[in-house]
Amino acid sequence: MRRDEFTITTLGTQTRKNLYILLAAFFILVQLVWVGLPILMTVLWSLVHPDYPWSYPQMFPEKLSFAQWRFVFRYTNIVRALKTSYSVAPLSVLLAFFLALPTAYALGRKKFAGKKLFMTLVLLPIIMPGMVVALFLSRVFTSFGLAQSFFGLVLAHTLMGLPYMIRVLTTSFEAIPQDVIDAAENLGATSFSKIKDIFLPMVRPGLLAGMVFAFTTSIEEFNLTFIIGTPTFETVPTILYSFLGYNFIRTNASVIALIMMVPNILMLFAVERILKSDYLSASLGKL
Amino acid sequence: MKRVLIVTFVLGLAAASLFAVDLKTSGWNTIVSTAKAEGQVIFYAWYFPDYFKEAAADFEKLYGIKAVVIIGDQTANFNKAIAEKNLATGTIDAMIVGGQWVKTTMDLDLFFGPIKGVLPEAHQMAPSLWELQEGVLTKGYLAPFHRNQTGILYDPNRVKNPPQTWEELVKWIDENPKEFGFCDPSKGGTGQSFVHTVIAKTTGGLERYKGDSDVVPSKVANWNLAWKWFTDRRDKLTITMSNNDSIIRLNGGEISMTVGWDDNVSDQMSKGNLFKRAKMYIPQMGLAGGGDTMGVLKNAPNKAAALLWIHFIQSKEQQLKKFQKVGAYPARIDLPLEGTLLSEQDRAKNAIAWFPAAYKNLMINEFVRNVLMK
Repeated sequence: MRRDEFTITTLGTQTRKNLYILLAAFFILVQLVWVGLPILMTVLWSLVHPDYPWSYPQMFPEKLSFAQWRFVFRYTNIVRALKTSYSVAPLSVLLAFFLALPTAYALGRKKFAGKKLFMTLVLLPIIMPGMVVALFLSRVFTSFGLAQSFFGLVLAHTLMGLPYMIRVLTTSFEAIPQDVIDAAENLGATSFSKIKDIFLPMVRPGLLAGMVFAFTTSIEEFNLTFIIGTPTFETVPTILYSFLGYNFIRTNASVIALIMMVPNILMLFAVERILKSDYLSASLGKL
Repeated sequence: MKRVLIVTFVLGLAAASLFAVDLKTSGWNTIVSTAKAEGQVIFYAWYFPDYFKEAAADFEKLYGIKAVVIIGDQTANFNKAIAEKNLATGTIDAMIVGGQWVKTTMDLDLFFGPIKGVLPEAHQMAPSLWELQEGVLTKGYLAPFHRNQTGILYDPNRVKNPPQTWEELVKWIDENPKEFGFCDPSKGGTGQSFVHTVIAKTTGGLERYKGDSDVVPSKVANWNLAWKWFTDRRDKLTITMSNNDSIIRLNGGEISMTVGWDDNVSDQMSKGNLFKRAKMYIPQMGLAGGGDTMGVLKNAPNKAAALLWIHFIQSKEQQLKKFQKVGAYPARIDLPLEGTLLSEQDRAKNAIAWFPAAYKNLMINEFVRNVLMK
């Protein structure tokens, strides 16, 4: 290799390395601005001392305190709401899974007339404004005696999470290669072993994604819960909306937002880990 | 057998009529004993969770009746009440009624009443608020909860001589572009109050609307002058998204003057959301005021307890406690107060009444059409 060729190669490697560093720095900056900054602002607003308001031209609050947190825990039903939210959400995810599984299988693996229309209809509850859905559904829930009951609340949250679960699972079922199913059938696989060894492992990433959607939908559901659940049940969003709606109080709303956010972030990290281990299994041919 | 059935039926009817107490005529002692038998009251509000939590505890201690207070969102509260309107028995006993929803709820005949003649201390509450809430006739169905007033709120570090007259305000806005903010009137009462004043000042006052229950087209023919005033100053005015958004923008330094509700400003100040140096006044040109009320739902499961709760909230002790805790001006007229955000002199001289509800509705719709959408 000539000296000038060596220099060019070294320069090329160096430039590529610099480019990677630049891209990484840009990515970190974007993450900080889009994710980190709002969270930091929320944390700071939740710590504003009531006697030292954070206002123009101060860059940061003059004094921090836990007074806003104490206010929320003392004067709202947040503890009761947390218990309800985190007991309704897992049950509604489970119910949504069992209800979505056969529908998603049919939509993902079978051919029938009106399939496209049905797939659009499934999404209607999330396309329509939340309060409109809530007002119509509340009539149905009341006439069936499901309003003001825990089961009714679980069912309501299931209905709101179901479109996500069906959509994501349908895509997962569609993605299963027919060759794998044919090969299993040629080797004498029964319907049960096909479900156990092919369908369920291969839709697992989709299932986890659907669960995340259904869980966060349940945790954030406000309209239907408020109409059919209160006053017997309160969830975290019913408390959040009292500070975030017409009577927006940023300090208290920040506290509730953080209370809602932390468990959701932890769950996302957990699911991310499970999904990564799935990819690893797939790459090693264990699926 | 037939005779036994008839006798049972007649006795049943007699017993039912005996126990179905007409709360409007039964007298206060009967209401209190019926309330105690009902055992609980469910009340919906959307603000002051701190005050209501303590009031609920006081009520339970005094009467032995459990008070469940749900602090929701204003729109959601009314949507729920409307969704349950046709049920024989709903889930809400009583609720706060704000100016935004008073016309809709009165038109829908949502409330039990009139209750003015039922509550023993009704005569101690602001008489005007018993009859009229933000231009809507409430006819004694809605009980006064607190009085509130819009005023000009400003940062004294940035505004040295706040305007008093209409001419001074216009001059100030023209000299300080984008420094004056007001809320979109379809999103909050402070914006409605400001647009109301602009209409009064640019189209010939408010006298001619008095007593009208419907819009008289000839009286609003010159409202285009008000819309022109706004569109001519499109680059000089800041329109905010809600009453609280105006306060947030003032606190953040984006604007230096806005219109606020006195109770809302006090509440935001006490929670660290607005600097303590903020000042508020009712200018000589006049701004509207009113108040929030409480209503008992027609299909309330515990009507007597709801009436007792409202009576309790209207009591001298509770009205004073509410003022001390959250700065809300009492609805009672027999409470001398010190330390109010707006001076009594301002209230007496410069507070003005809303024009009738039909005009207010038209004002909101026409503002959206002629100012926001142009």
